[in-house]
Amino acid sequence: MAAFVRRFGVVGEHFVKNLIKTNAVKKAVRQQSTPAAAEVALNVPETKVTTLANGLRVASEDSALPTCTVGLWIDAGSRYENERNNGTAHFLEHMAFKGTKKRSQLDLELEIENMGAHLNAYTSREQTVYYAKAFSKDLPRAVEILADIIQNSTLGEAEIERERGVILREMQEVETNLQEVVFDYLHATAYQDTALGRTILGPAENIKTINRADLLEYITTHYKGPRIVLAAAGGVCHNELIDLAKFHFGKLPARYKGEAPALPSCRFTGSEIRVSDNKMPLAHIVIAVEAVGWSHPDTIPLMVANTLIGNWDRSFGSAVVRYPLTPYHPTVRSGLENADLGADFKSSSLALPAPQNLSSKLAQVACQGSLCHSFQSFNTCYTDTGLWGLYAVCEPGTVSQMMHFTQQEWMSLCTSVTESEVARAKNLLKTNMLLHLDGSTPICEDIGRQMLCYGRRIPLHELEARIDVRVCPSLTHTHTHTHTHTQLIISLRV
Amino acid sequence: MRFCCRFGIAACRQYSSSGGGYPNVSLSTALPGIPKPIFASVDGHEKYETKITTLENGLRVASQNKFGQFCTVGILVNSGSRHETKYPSGIAHFLEKLAFSSTSQYGSKDEILLSLEKHGGICDCQTSRDTTMYAVSAEVKGLDTVVSLLADAVLQPRLLDEELEMTRMTVRFELEDLNMRPDPEPLLTEMIHAAAYWGNTVGLPRFCPVESVEKIDRKLLHSYLRSYYCPERMVLAGVGVEHERLLECARKHLLNVKPVWGMSTPGQVDCSMAQYTGGIVKMEKDMSDVSLGPTPIPELTHIMIGLETCSFLEDDFIPFAVLNMMMGGGGSFSAGGPGKGMFTRLYLNVLNRHHWMYNATSYHHSYEDSGLLCIHASADPRQVREMVEIITREFIQMVELERAKTQLKSMLMMNLESRPVIFEDVGRQVLATGKRKLPHELCQLIMTSRDSLHTSTSRRPSPAKTVACHACTASSGRRALLTAPRTHPQHDFHWNWCNTCEQARKLWSGLRLVVFRMVISELRIFAC
Repeated sequence: MAAFVRRFGVVGEHFVKNLIKTNAVKKAVRQQSTPAAAEVALNVPETKVTTLANGLRVASEDSALPTCTVGLWIDAGSRYENERNNGTAHFLEHMAFKGTKKRSQLDLELEIENMGAHLNAYTSREQTVYYAKAFSKDLPRAVEILADIIQNSTLGEAEIERERGVILREMQEVETNLQEVVFDYLHATAYQDTALGRTILGPAENIKTINRADLLEYITTHYKGPRIVLAAAGGVCHNELIDLAKFHFGKLPARYKGEAPALPSCRFTGSEIRVSDNKMPLAHIVIAVEAVGWSHPDTIPLMVANTLIGNWDRSFGSAVVRYPLTPYHPTVRSGLENADLGADFKSSSLALPAPQNLSSKLAQVACQGSLCHSFQSFNTCYTDTGLWGLYAVCEPGTVSQMMHFTQQEWMSLCTSVTESEVARAKNLLKTNMLLHLDGSTPICEDIGRQMLCYGRRIPLHELEARIDVRVCPSLTHTHTHTHTHTQLIISLRV
Repeated sequence: MRFCCRFGIAACRQYSSSGGGYPNVSLSTALPGIPKPIFASVDGHEKYETKITTLENGLRVASQNKFGQFCTVGILVNSGSRHETKYPSGIAHFLEKLAFSSTSQYGSKDEILLSLEKHGGICDCQTSRDTTMYAVSAEVKGLDTVVSLLADAVLQPRLLDEELEMTRMTVRFELEDLNMRPDPEPLLTEMIHAAAYWGNTVGLPRFCPVESVEKIDRKLLHSYLRSYYCPERMVLAGVGVEHERLLECARKHLLNVKPVWGMSTPGQVDCSMAQYTGGIVKMEKDMSDVSLGPTPIPELTHIMIGLETCSFLEDDFIPFAVLNMMMGGGGSFSAGGPGKGMFTRLYLNVLNRHHWMYNATSYHHSYEDSGLLCIHASADPRQVREMVEIITREFIQMVELERAKTQLKSMLMMNLESRPVIFEDVGRQVLATGKRKLPHELCQLIMTSRDSLHTSTSRRPSPAKTVACHACTASSGRRALLTAPRTHPQHDFHWNWCNTCEQARKLWSGLRLVVFRMVISELRIFAC
């Protein structure tokens, strides 16, 4: 493949000069009164949270379904790795299903399959997740299995050797997915020479050398009570879950002997990577600016801005935009629900009716000018930083035009977005965030992630209230500032 | 307001922290002054049940209540590509793409979306071979608007020229994408239906053929809608709503309403039953370059082999669903931990033993008058024959029954966690049978399906087989799309085979043996 890689330093000075000329914000915004009611009824069950003596948090929402999802959300991912052991978190996740002191791999697989349950895991840059879906009556067994696989994994040498091959093959699979590839480039350049810049899978040479000691060290360093959340949703009784957690996780260490590992700081560098390959029919581009971390109050306005730019694919037709269902968050899954198996029964497949609202201007421009095949606005958050931007797939000839209009639209968020457009985007964002919470797995996922990111579950009405707050000025400020800071990355394949 | 001063370098890292009314409160702490929530509780919660009422005009209204502030409401119409016998194919596909465009009340799609947004709503239309679903998910308090909008979208679409033109373009793009996708499943499903039910009912194309794109216009659509979009063929279903409220809205918006195409003419409805013909559909296609990126996807031949099963109205439906679960399967390198069916037969007997196979997955398609159980497999073109032999052999033995039943139950219950799935389940069951079997009743049926599985499989006539092949030529790296015209099933071959089956039909295994032989001989021809 005649591909070559170039790395550019900071670019975009010219771009910024143009931006500063057009920064007049014209809109007056009226203050919205805060809701007066002292109480509000929510037609959803409460999320109950309990902290055990060793710091492990148990959080659950009981909706009395006959099925449930229960899982472990662990504050550990590839960000805690260094150049040498990059890939360990993901390797470990693979090893979890390979047998424990109590169960061989076959025992584990048979037990899960015979229960009609599902066991899954995934690793992202900051989190590692193991979860099970099962009948509610099997909750105790599911928790016991989860406890077993993260505490008593054998990590046999033979299995480790076998898993290397599997992971290397998984790496090939990931490389066929250009969206994954281009987002990895984005991280590599935006967070160059820091932990967030590395991939989740790790480089091939690490995968070939990671050994049992590395895995054990990772567990002993990171799998500590305070960094783990046991979350559950569906038919789950909170008190029962607490008892199960005490019984199975009570022995997890609460604190560190020495110092707790600090979150490695990850500085953002404006830069770009271009990988040119004339054989490829389409260019895959990601352009992003630095945004804010999970719990920063600006996350919400940025999500609104994200919704304003929207999502589009040329098969949607004119100016009809589907916005992202969830903020793009890179993960490597070792488990996906195999929906194919279920394609048969009467309750087949009307997945969430795909949202296709919001006339995004960028979609109109892209559609009229045939500028791209698809684009997708994203907001990826980490603890203390984030990436806000756009992923587009274009014909090589329209790349520069597409980038021009993208930046123009970003600027118009600061200068000419109208109150009614923002109101629409806010409504859509609410819909998007709330509609998604359907079924025990998305709810459990939401609980686990929020417990790690925010230390609590944000009640729905508060989330709505936060979106409702007048947003325009903050929105524009955030954007103009990120722009003036010349934080621009392009990852491009032509 | 302080805008102009905020562009200095010093201020640039502050973001909006001092930007006026927006609360500078971390998401980790509760907003001050936020009202105290009163959560719903599970205790004393009556078990929700499905309620069904038929209105005076024949429209059925079905509902099921559920936790949450959102509901999914929609209209299901007994109309799909199988009803296009007397029309150019592709009408249902067009209607799917045209759904929620301008109506008598709303000037444009955008207006519809805007009014939905006020209730946090989104809309979607999906067409299958036998059903068209118009669905909206929105806040419960917007129910009246939602039902009124649905009624309008289904019964009063304007079908403007520019909307039709846009739809033509969209359909063309979709067809193009369908052919470029590395995942052949939608195309194979289309082909196996064409082969199994040659030229009739569910065998008609689900995707609009290119040659129909220009033919479809408003007049034609109206003529079709007049026949099929009548209240007797519709169900209004809602999940997460109270039945009385839904009924009230239905009376208001769907009773005594004259559709834009005038009075319906139900006499024109095509009532033909699915005729299983069996046959072979092959498509030659260069698959050497389907990867859109630099990492090549191995060149594969995809085949799908199917057998006729039964309609979802028959008692044998559940045993066949269990059988499908037992076959299971998936990609040889599909991600997923335990629970994805690693002990299904296609994994144990096929993928785990033959590492050169890339995929083996079982599917069961079921309709009101017929059904199709098929297996999709992928491998290198040079190993087609071996692959087919292996797959056909897999149609034979039956073990692991208990696990399959448990997994079928869990799959059923887990799918039914989600509102849109419940909506579709309620809607489809009521549309087909006028009532709804509750999940636990189905589970009961699954658990008692042990004996019937053997009897039903052995007594199925299944007098023919279907093969759909999606092949590729190992040729140049250029993307050359060679779409061979569909060949008509070879009748002599077919009839000989039916006679053989007649003798063998008493035994399922006997039948399978025949299928096996015939498929091999057919594939030999094909492989040359």
